[in-house]
Amino acid sequence: MSKSQSQNIAHENAINHVTGNSVFINDILSNTQTLIGRVVYSKYAHAKILSYDISEAKKLKGVSAILTYKDIPGKNNFGPIVHDELCLAEDEVIFIGQAIFLIAAETEEICIEAEKLITIEYEKLDAIVDLETAIKKNNLIAPERKIEVGQAEVTFSKSKNKIEGRLYVGGQEHWYLETQSSLAITGENNEIIVHSSSQNPTETQILVAEVLGIQSKDVVVEVKRMGGAFGGKETQANHVACWSALLANHTKRPVKIHLFRDDDQKITGKRHRFIIDYKASYENNGKIDSVIVELNSDAGSATDLSMSILERSMLHADNSYFVPNMKIIGKAFKTNLPSNTAFRGFGGPQGMAAIETIIDRIARALKKDAAEIRFINYYGINKNNTTPYGQLIEYNQLQKIHEQILIKSEYLKRRKEVDSFNSENEFFKKGLAITPVKFGISFTTAFLNQAGALVHIYKDGSVQVNHGGTEMGQGLHTKIKQIAAAELGINIEKISIASTNTSKVPNTSPTAASSGTDINGMAVKNAMKKLKLRIAEIVLADFNSQNAKVISKIEDIIFENDQILDSKNPERKISFEDAVMKSYFGQVSLSATGFYKTPEIFFDRATGKGKPFHYFAYGMSVSEVIIDILTGYQKIIRTDIIHDAGKSINERIDLGQIEGGFVQGLGWCTTEELKYDKEGNLLNHSPDTYKIPSANDIPEIFNVELLKDAPNPNTIRQSKAIGEPPLMLAFSVWLAIKDAISAVGNHKIEPDFSLPATNEVILLSIENILSDMKK
Amino acid sequence: MKIFNKISFILGDEPIEIDFSKSELKPTTTVLNFLRSYPNFKGVKEGCGEGDCGACTIVLAELNENNKLHYYAVDSCLVFLPMIHGKQVLTVEHLAQKNGKETILHPVQKAIIENDATQCGYCTPGFAMSMFALYKNKFNPTKEIVIDSLAGNLCRCTGYKPLINAAIEACSNKTSDQFQIAENKTVLQLQKISEVQLPIIIEKNQQFFAKVFSLSDALKLKKLNPEAIFIGGATDTALRVTKKHEVIPSIIDISSIQNIKYFREEENYFVIGSGISLEDLKNKTENYLPAVHHILKVFGSKQIRNLATLGGNLGSASPIGDTLPMLIAHEAVIIVKSLQATRRIPINSFIKSYRKTAIQNSEIITEISVPIPDKESIIKSYKVSKRKDLDISTVSACFNLKFSKNKTVEKIILAFGGMAATPVKANSAEAYLIGKKWELENIKIAMELISKEFEPISDARASKEFRIISSKNLLLKFFNDLKMGEI
Repeated sequence: MSKSQSQNIAHENAINHVTGNSVFINDILSNTQTLIGRVVYSKYAHAKILSYDISEAKKLKGVSAILTYKDIPGKNNFGPIVHDELCLAEDEVIFIGQAIFLIAAETEEICIEAEKLITIEYEKLDAIVDLETAIKKNNLIAPERKIEVGQAEVTFSKSKNKIEGRLYVGGQEHWYLETQSSLAITGENNEIIVHSSSQNPTETQILVAEVLGIQSKDVVVEVKRMGGAFGGKETQANHVACWSALLANHTKRPVKIHLFRDDDQKITGKRHRFIIDYKASYENNGKIDSVIVELNSDAGSATDLSMSILERSMLHADNSYFVPNMKIIGKAFKTNLPSNTAFRGFGGPQGMAAIETIIDRIARALKKDAAEIRFINYYGINKNNTTPYGQLIEYNQLQKIHEQILIKSEYLKRRKEVDSFNSENEFFKKGLAITPVKFGISFTTAFLNQAGALVHIYKDGSVQVNHGGTEMGQGLHTKIKQIAAAELGINIEKISIASTNTSKVPNTSPTAASSGTDINGMAVKNAMKKLKLRIAEIVLADFNSQNAKVISKIEDIIFENDQILDSKNPERKISFEDAVMKSYFGQVSLSATGFYKTPEIFFDRATGKGKPFHYFAYGMSVSEVIIDILTGYQKIIRTDIIHDAGKSINERIDLGQIEGGFVQGLGWCTTEELKYDKEGNLLNHSPDTYKIPSANDIPEIFNVELLKDAPNPNTIRQSKAIGEPPLMLAFSVWLAIKDAISAVGNHKIEPDFSLPATNEVILLSIENILSDMKK
Repeated sequence: MKIFNKISFILGDEPIEIDFSKSELKPTTTVLNFLRSYPNFKGVKEGCGEGDCGACTIVLAELNENNKLHYYAVDSCLVFLPMIHGKQVLTVEHLAQKNGKETILHPVQKAIIENDATQCGYCTPGFAMSMFALYKNKFNPTKEIVIDSLAGNLCRCTGYKPLINAAIEACSNKTSDQFQIAENKTVLQLQKISEVQLPIIIEKNQQFFAKVFSLSDALKLKKLNPEAIFIGGATDTALRVTKKHEVIPSIIDISSIQNIKYFREEENYFVIGSGISLEDLKNKTENYLPAVHHILKVFGSKQIRNLATLGGNLGSASPIGDTLPMLIAHEAVIIVKSLQATRRIPINSFIKSYRKTAIQNSEIITEISVPIPDKESIIKSYKVSKRKDLDISTVSACFNLKFSKNKTVEKIILAFGGMAATPVKANSAEAYLIGKKWELENIKIAMELISKEFEPISDARASKEFRIISSKNLLLKFFNDLKMGEI
């Protein structure tokens, strides 16, 4: 097998990463003319700015500029979809962390000194800093949405078996290791180049142009790589990019902004916290007959992506289960907090948390194993296979994965062991849970499902691939390289993936929705197809000129093993390099663009119906935990995962996405807690108090495998998207913890539970059970 | 005799001398910022500026008592430049070797690649350095040791499994690396620097920084600069610079005073030098003071423990101060010295109030004396935190119990951290239990007394309610542990 076909290569940047040679924005060697930018932000959640004084700060030696909104040459707005986000505050601030002034100075220290010299006089106004108040005041940021199928209210009211409840689901800080960063360098006239750590270079380009009052043609945004993003750089990388561009434009010097960790945590948005009210009814065997959920999300102070995120949470309120009568209401509320934003899963996790809670409660009420209740409620293969929004589920893998994981994890045997451990131990309890994931792949905003590519073949036979996707560690460039190598049949060493650059591939969609490889891979393939045809025609003419009696046909020309050959007459062959030179001398263009749009997807927001997803990705996990009922301490003993990546393009990378996504999800489900004070200050604004998982928090035994023999029709090399779905596999940990708490009351009392299940949530829930038992 | 403004160290294999009077650098410039100011040391990353993420991890090598090199990982964001005087500094850039065009990766680098332990790459240099320090110290480490060595590094991409596997793999196939080959040369270089042990004084832009090599120099300089603060590892003080952007006017760096770094047994006491690193103390107490060892295992991270000292933790008098409850339970005595006198301060009168101690301005903590627990004493420590590792305690506790001959409680100390403005004892519960039988009924009453004893606060870590329940439950946990014969 040649290297081009090799499935399992390491991350293309692995050597640079381990040697410290990989360049992030803050590592770009800048000249002595480069200034450091700093943003001065609001200390109040809601206040009028009565007056301010920047004159002293401006006088400080080493300060080049201090900008207010009045210095913005273009529009003072960087709202990505709805234009409701000011680039710099005017006479009012609406959240703590809102940018008011920008400083550019020779060093960071001078910036900090200058900031201390700025005075602002505020008049404090009433603020809404918690979601419950926003709900009470009905402070919607946009009209509510609805998806409905069947007769949920009627069915619920007639049913004998009912549950109702409210679930609190917390937000999550992205905690990308590389904080938001940007370096802006001006050129002649209006030209500006912005090196950005952005998942969405095109949008960064548009917004930089808007704030500068220039056209997109003058702005180049380049993204070499991001030090993690997870959705946090889908829209909110635009902010630092715009700020650095404004400062650079004003000073005509390069300006770099690299947010300090605490500032990043305070001023950028998070995963949306939700309050979910649910009602459900079920048959005596546990089969759900109706669900009514109201998903209330905290949008923060501006719309950002909140409505798309809410939409995805609504489209995942069913998770893997067929609910004949379902009503899903979605509401996003405005609060005086930083605007919440995309985060791996994009609302899907919050939507699923509710139905997983419902299933778990039904099982407890019926004194049955939740695995059994899940199984009878899964979408069917030939029936019960239409979602509440009307999409038919094809190629359903749920039953297959369920059966496989029960065996792989020895679920039934371990269920008995857990039960007997619990009956023998008073102060330690174990819990076990299996949870499924069905995740819809595509942007639900249908037009975003497009991608472009630009491929250059150089005269030496080396190939540069440009595409619209960005690399944030997920291995997109590695997979694209593999796709390119396989298409051209050449050694992967001959291919390089260029930095994502808006002047190479324009009008791109964000690298988001797990779609990076799906759509950009197809666009690259499309470009390759054009190039191969051009080269094949030259090669064909050459073959056929050698011996007129034997006619090679264009459809028989294949590219493999660094050669181009006639598959019917394999002795007719030419090396790829020679063919490239022949094409060049034959005056054939060796550069081509590629384009792709995902076929047949649509969604009507008014009716809540359509086919929003190209396909679904599936996965399941089984987790076992142990809790200390005296301290709320929990430990994950074992997790088994089987996940569907279609026919994997790169198993090593896909396994990395599954493990990493799962651990990020378990952080959200366990230790990552965001607390705000009454003034709207985020209390956990550094890793001192905001706790993402560390090496000691992962399952002691951690078995992860890909679903075998599961090619996905109609996608690039029959693969499936992998970025987001595994995050939700962590629900198995969350519900295993609940199962362990439930064991304290012998599974007779429904535990108080919320997400994240911190040691505090666990301990207080246990206390309530213990006091209920005393009654 | 003093040396002014100059420090020396080895960067990789290159001797570096910094003359602060001739450079932009300040004595409180962190090693992270110093390294990153070079074009070719951008692999050292800043992730948090507070020692909680490990992206800035570098490895320091210093001479041990046998004139061999001791390698240890530190967070370079917490180290002030003069603190690396006399040491070898190694960064990710030093791990791979160039052989013509070819790059020869270090075994830890190879293992990271082969195990797919890097994704976005931002945390990778820090992990590589933590693994490298482990590689230099342990052959075939257990998974527990590996996790302990990596718990000071955060990764948001991989989920850690491949990182753990990479460390295990690299450390189980050890070959001699370029650093071992160059060890003799490095030792000579470092010996040359440490031949001169005169105080180094850096005075610049209203900042005074003294690096001393003896206690008497420390005390003399303190007398001349009464406002100066002592730093042992600076893991707390550095935050004032990196996070609060303070210009600390006056610092005396005692990290190079060798004769306050000890743990030894004397008659009736274990005596602990105030300058011993918490990592060293953790290792040395394992068989002597298990409750101390237990709490130090979950104190900070390896990178923090390698820098932080027991004296520093005591001096900062944090309300949580993970080491304080255990010192209270062990009835430790703090020895402080001034130029004139030595005082022995019992731990209970050492902490005065929130972040205030009984040390006078002219004094320095030199030693902590821990009475050797008699065989009948049962001492156990507990820590409740949101995350297992590298997390400051929400509640910590250390209990010391001794029974009389008739199996009643003869003596009991119930010390808690995180429950008040200072570490405190649960006096009413202690008083109640004295003379009582060690039975569940009595424990339950004592638990109620504990829950009424304290008025803890709700903060970013946890609620008041959680603190109260945990603190009383820890007594029950202690009771259960004794019953289960875990001691």
